[in-house]
Amino acid sequence: MEAAEKILTKAKMPFCPGCGHGVCVRSTSKALENLGYGPKDVVMVSDIGCSGLVDPLFETHTIHGLHGRAPALGVGVALGLDNPNKKVVVIQGDGGATIGLQHILEASRRNIDMTLIVINNLLYGMTGGQMSGLSTNEFKDYKNSDDDADPYDVVNLAHQSGAAFSVRVNEISNFTDVLKEAINTPGFSLVELSSLCTSYGMKKISEMKGFIVEEKKLININPIGESKKRDTNSLLSNVKVLEKQFESNIEDSVGIVIAGSAGGGVQSAAKILAQAGILSGLYTTMKGEYPITVGTGFSVAEVILSKKPIHFTGLEKPSVILAVTEDGWTKVKNRVAHESRVLVDRKICADCSYDVKDFVKVGGKKGAALSAVSYWVKETGIFPVDALFKVVESSKYTAPLQKAIKSAEELREVVYSYVPEIKRKN
Amino acid sequence: MIDASRIITEALVQSGADVFVGYPITPSNLFYSYSKERFPEFLAGPDEISVLQWMCGYSAAGKIPVTATAFPGLALMTETLNMAYMMELPMVLIITQRLGPSTGSATTGAQGDLKFLDGIISGGFPMPIFSPSNFNDAWILSNEAVKTAVKFRTPVIILTSKELVMTQKSFDINSLETLEKIDRTPKEFEAPFQPYKAGIDMVPTFYPLGNDEYQVRFNASTHDNEGLIRKGTPESLANTWRLREKLEKRIDEYSFFELDAEDGANDLIVTWGVSADASRDTVKSMRGKGKKVSLLIVKTILPISQNIYDIIDSYKTITFAEENMTGMFKEMIFGKRKTSKIKTATKFGAMLTPSEIEEIVN
Repeated sequence: MEAAEKILTKAKMPFCPGCGHGVCVRSTSKALENLGYGPKDVVMVSDIGCSGLVDPLFETHTIHGLHGRAPALGVGVALGLDNPNKKVVVIQGDGGATIGLQHILEASRRNIDMTLIVINNLLYGMTGGQMSGLSTNEFKDYKNSDDDADPYDVVNLAHQSGAAFSVRVNEISNFTDVLKEAINTPGFSLVELSSLCTSYGMKKISEMKGFIVEEKKLININPIGESKKRDTNSLLSNVKVLEKQFESNIEDSVGIVIAGSAGGGVQSAAKILAQAGILSGLYTTMKGEYPITVGTGFSVAEVILSKKPIHFTGLEKPSVILAVTEDGWTKVKNRVAHESRVLVDRKICADCSYDVKDFVKVGGKKGAALSAVSYWVKETGIFPVDALFKVVESSKYTAPLQKAIKSAEELREVVYSYVPEIKRKN
Repeated sequence: MIDASRIITEALVQSGADVFVGYPITPSNLFYSYSKERFPEFLAGPDEISVLQWMCGYSAAGKIPVTATAFPGLALMTETLNMAYMMELPMVLIITQRLGPSTGSATTGAQGDLKFLDGIISGGFPMPIFSPSNFNDAWILSNEAVKTAVKFRTPVIILTSKELVMTQKSFDINSLETLEKIDRTPKEFEAPFQPYKAGIDMVPTFYPLGNDEYQVRFNASTHDNEGLIRKGTPESLANTWRLREKLEKRIDEYSFFELDAEDGANDLIVTWGVSADASRDTVKSMRGKGKKVSLLIVKTILPISQNIYDIIDSYKTITFAEENMTGMFKEMIFGKRKTSKIKTATKFGAMLTPSEIEEIVN
């Protein structure tokens, strides 16, 4: 630390005559110097408003941000520096504390090692003296404001959110000592300082009594918030590599739509089909569609199996549609094309013109989609069913998946209405 | 089977990105989960404004932060994105486009955020926006995003779409080239150090907050070379003007595109992002039928380099293929005026298909 160097520059205070902000700035500087901080040990983070004019006054590192967001910016700086020898001090006004209250609560909740100084002059000084969320009702009455909602108590709110130290100070003579205590407290500290606005408030500090909230000091014993660093492994190292083990009879490409309900194994059946395709030397794509509430409603998956590399991953006209529940069928039935091979579960339409199978009956609710996939693979001979078994060998749920694949055998005696068309040309 | 979310996340970390700060949103959710697994540091923000503010703090402290979001999150981040741009803070934002307006359809892809991004920096300042068209682009452009962010001291956006980053594909990961980790050693400067004094390359030397050598000031308001607020002085205005100059005058250093030109072709298909693969199939189909056609895939979608204008100007008929209502990239080049030379193959609420593009070209 460079204790001999001054924290303040020689720049003239930019505030109106009699403004209380100058006292706050000098007290902050004194507190830092008394604690032995040099200019390069400190990052001052400033907000918007009269309190946002402080940058040129400090010889420290400075960063001047947006209205109300300085506490959040300070959190990023403190976590990014991750250095207990550096001190992050954020300065904002009561307007900034109002618009950015969430950021104060978050810094408190995480107990980030930084100090927030809220200079409260009860109003928005830069835009004409409007009332803020910290303006007291007494002050609002004095200013003939219609708003009678009680002000936020940021000291209380910070404390209740977990701040290590939160305090309100009205007596100017106590500013430096309290700021020292705050800055010296590990974790998040908030200091609300009363300040005079001579342009839109009172002319003398003595006139402020009766318009400000009484002093308060609150303490929590909480661990200091930090961002944990860790060693990680490449995301490519845990990708399952699939080498060709089977042959496929496909000549060009085939697009399969699998339609069912949430929780019915539709997405995993599609993935098993796609992976079996890779094991059979094919290029594949797989995508899912489901409502944002993933646990209910339809679940639809599309798989493309192709002899050649796949560019466009959409399906203009599905070659095959496998529908196992009403939810899924409703979602995909308008996609049936002239050349589509359609297989539906009996519960969807027992007497419709499509091929009807008892997928749910033989595979169960969770296995019906994979049962349908298995049936279609076996029927077309696109590649051996063994490729499906091979994929599920390494699954956490090998036994039920094997059972679902095997269940398709129970559907074999059904006589097909026509030979499926699978060699679709793009 | 792999998806582009995984590829982009891995490429960013290998390129030197330090921290992911996220707020979950569909269809950027895979970025969130992969980043939680892969980034050396991961933070869950309470909202998108906090996310980007925290990132600015990290960046000012010398780290390279990354986030991933979609339009609703981007809208909340806009003021802070302007701050990051003004402060000249390196960072990468991944925007996964989905169907709007408003919350629209979170799980339906789109290419509808381009015009919003074109004007997102108040005053019309350019910001590099990379738009991968496939897995290889996703890998390489993620590296270029980190490189560009550091080299030019700017936020960089990777603009994707739901179908591009959530679709699983068979892919040979050994085909991915080794990526260079971006060097962050401060470059030389002419003494004395001033945080916003730039040399001939128009980019100031970066030193982080808290360093023991030089006082550093970052500022979101119009500022001088010291980083102090100065309203309307020649130095502060020149500093702001420089933000445009550094990116416009050196555009060729980060402008990427792919031109598949066919000799004698009068028709050109211009596309970007998720519509590029459909366009590749269109070109293959048309050439298979003996039709001459060229294909331009724009990968640095903003700002638009002179090369793109020159290529477009050399064809008689141009078809823009985009998954939005009006052809946003087309409008950025030609405006809304209709001419016989310009065609738009557009789609709303679903992927544009190869046959739909072919029909428009014909």
